[in-house]
Amino acid sequence: MKIAQRLAGKASRLLALVAAPLACLAAALPAAAADTVNVYSIWPENWARPMFQEFEKATGIKVNFVRFSSGEALARVIAEKNNPRVDVLFGGPVETHAAGIKEGIFEPYKPPSFAKLPARFKHPEGQWVAIADDPLVFMTNAKFLKENNLQPPASWNDLLHPAYKNMLQMADARTSGTAVTRIFSVLEVNGRDEAKAFEYMKKLRPNIQLYTKSGGGGTLPVGLGQAGGGIFFIVDALDTKAKGYDVVISFPKEGIGTAAEAIALIKGAKNPELGRKLIDWASSPAMQNTLAKHKINFLPAHPDVAVEPGLAAVIKDAKIFPIDADYAGANRKRMVERWIAEVLNP
Amino acid sequence: MASVAPAAGPARGLAWARQDPALTATVLVLWLLLGLFVVFPLAMLTARVFWDGGHFSVAGIGAILTDRHQVQAFWNSLLLATLVGLLGTLVGFVFAFTVARGGLPRWVVTAVDGAVLLPLISPPFTTAIAMVFSFGPRGLITYELLGLKGVTVYGMTSTLFSEALTYFPIAYLALRPILAAIDSNIEGMAMSLGASRMRVFRTVTLPLCIPGLANSFLLLFAASLADFATPLILAGNAFPVLPTQAFLQITGMFDLRGGAVLSLVLLVPAVAVFVLQRYWVSQRFYVTVTGKGAGQQPFESVAPWVRWALVGACLAVTIVIVYLYALLLYASLVMAFGANHAFTLGHYGVIFTEGFKAIRDTLVIAGFSMPLGGLYGVLLGYLVVRKAFPGRRTMEVVSMVNYALPGTIVGIAYLIAFNDPPVELAGTALVIVACYVFRYGPTGIRTTIALLQQIDRSLEEASQSLGAASGTTFRRVTLPLILPAFFAGLGVVFIRSMTAISATIFLVSISWTLITVKILENMTELSLGPAAAFSVLVIVIVFVVIGAISRGLRFFRAPGSEPVTSLLGG
Repeated sequence: MKIAQRLAGKASRLLALVAAPLACLAAALPAAAADTVNVYSIWPENWARPMFQEFEKATGIKVNFVRFSSGEALARVIAEKNNPRVDVLFGGPVETHAAGIKEGIFEPYKPPSFAKLPARFKHPEGQWVAIADDPLVFMTNAKFLKENNLQPPASWNDLLHPAYKNMLQMADARTSGTAVTRIFSVLEVNGRDEAKAFEYMKKLRPNIQLYTKSGGGGTLPVGLGQAGGGIFFIVDALDTKAKGYDVVISFPKEGIGTAAEAIALIKGAKNPELGRKLIDWASSPAMQNTLAKHKINFLPAHPDVAVEPGLAAVIKDAKIFPIDADYAGANRKRMVERWIAEVLNP
Repeated sequence: MASVAPAAGPARGLAWARQDPALTATVLVLWLLLGLFVVFPLAMLTARVFWDGGHFSVAGIGAILTDRHQVQAFWNSLLLATLVGLLGTLVGFVFAFTVARGGLPRWVVTAVDGAVLLPLISPPFTTAIAMVFSFGPRGLITYELLGLKGVTVYGMTSTLFSEALTYFPIAYLALRPILAAIDSNIEGMAMSLGASRMRVFRTVTLPLCIPGLANSFLLLFAASLADFATPLILAGNAFPVLPTQAFLQITGMFDLRGGAVLSLVLLVPAVAVFVLQRYWVSQRFYVTVTGKGAGQQPFESVAPWVRWALVGACLAVTIVIVYLYALLLYASLVMAFGANHAFTLGHYGVIFTEGFKAIRDTLVIAGFSMPLGGLYGVLLGYLVVRKAFPGRRTMEVVSMVNYALPGTIVGIAYLIAFNDPPVELAGTALVIVACYVFRYGPTGIRTTIALLQQIDRSLEEASQSLGAASGTTFRRVTLPLILPAFFAGLGVVFIRSMTAISATIFLVSISWTLITVKILENMTELSLGPAAAFSVLVIVIVFVVIGAISRGLRFFRAPGSEPVTSLLGG
């Protein structure tokens, strides 16, 4: 029993040792500063961070942000509706924002650039405005093409080639805005004939190795050659190439869709004035002129900002069409459900 | 104490409370905490499932339960969890048995401990990613080494492999103290009575381990049922499982109700296994640590060839683990894995500048969760096994709920419950700490229960009959005996606080973020370097902390007692 006593004595001493620093930590919890705007960013951190640093340089306002994929960010803003924790939802394909309007989570705001933006880059009531444009591309692994004696795919039908069997990765429409843009691209090139479009997607299904959770999820496997190719946003594809992976970017001759990237003010935001300043800045040339400097390959939404020459060269001969926001908004849920039922789980 | 004459009926139920005020207070506090952090969020979530616009509705449930793909996902989940439970327990037992009875040199045991810990102290999807690199169509092993083409890495086999590899250390940690606590004199006696080694193993050692085996199967089954990250990366589209479906339903389809329904369905098998295990285990009697001292030299309990086979099996598993993690380390030190293999420390630069907040937040949260979770586990496990008070079975079941529930649903439940008044905790560190304590503390509870079932009650009864209060008896008698379980619980809570993601991905906020969330994010952003560097950092931190506490624990060693050589295994 002596042993037990000694052990117990030492145990309580150890617990005291553990408890003391914890108490100190508890006293030192951080508090939010007054000149800080809180943001959920859908843009990945390595693109959002330089932008927010530029913003701080220009205005002195700090940006406190967390990154979530579009679905998660939206689910969060909805869950926090009665008690919003952030002021601005930054980036993400516009379908995300369109879905949010129905939930009543945004505060309409028209920044100074509003009048200058083309119609497809703004919500008529200012529920959101676009800060960039992001076309889809085909991206294939160069070594894979060579081994299979293939040319880079130049038509949607090229992807049906048996050499791609079980070798394509692209995003899952349940989570990814990229996938939704892709489905609407297929619909557009088939003249919105749903039967034909879904016929194509079903024929493509055997070639799909994996539907990934996020839009860029397949880029690394394609870069590594684990997958032969896929359909991605240009910003992800060019980033893969810039990292040194031997990939080829190509466009289908029938055309491919592009999605606007939007920003919106959250209803009930705790710092609405700072939030508006961020929207003013992001929707203006002030931000979009710095995209090229940071090698972020979004196309600017503001008409006064020139496309970076390297990026312009990539898309020079490509046939790119915008996804009609009204059509996509009205049919999004139904198309995704149909995709799950007929394509994902045939 | 008995100054008030006990009346019949309700007062009889309160008699226990008057006899032991310390016990009463502890039980009440525990119930309060369980109510707030287990029952309340779940109730809020259930309300969200069944209340549709102010009235009761089962439409949401019906739609999902009649969907043939969701039903398929349900069976897939059960199959996967069962296989992970069996395979993981088997591997864990082989390791624990080899370490406890193999007569290995100390340094080998330390090395094995180190390697076995790797999967536990890194986020689960890190092995999954290393698997993709190794076994895909261009995998380092399948393509570069074996020259196979057209191999598919996505599916049940690789998910099972990855999950078993990730979770078997839990079985090892749960079984090792139990094997260590089995007095090898009993085996020695059986042998001197003429039984063969095999017979001793089959009729003495193995039956004594059954509570531990059942316990470990339960833990692994629950862990697999809760894991969404591994299937998210490895299961592919042909083998959907429920936790991943629930996660996608919530994060992607913005369908909180649908996700909640899917997860609530998972609760059914989790509870079923739990009840089965309790019933089965409670039929057996396992006292090997008694008041009557024993402490002779361990005897040779395995034949040499068995010993070598066991060591060989452990070595093979260890090599696989080391290989997968070497790959991870390599990825953290090159510019871009697979494209540019020039050496760089740049990724570490990135995580210590841009990622510094995540590192600090994670350490603070883990620092809080560890002692609280360890204490909670031992306390609750002890009360449930040793004390009689109303609702103690219920308490045990309730305490397991957050562990058994998929993390996704715990996270969403916390988000719904704690976002608004009356209990507004969302965005604070407390909500993450609470989540870890009540989600991973049960590891300590289960280990404590399994260990206590081996310790003769008479030790405590002796203390109490000599006049010690239950608090004193716990502190001076029981606590030292269950210290191994306490430290196992402590270790698991700390490790999980550093590595878990499924629940807390919903609880990170603008003020508090976590390394694991950063890792998953980086992986989907093509930033494999920083993701790998973060993972390596987590592993190093956990090793250092566990090692430091292990060292500090040396002063627990007293003459005649089992040396506490390793924090986790000891």
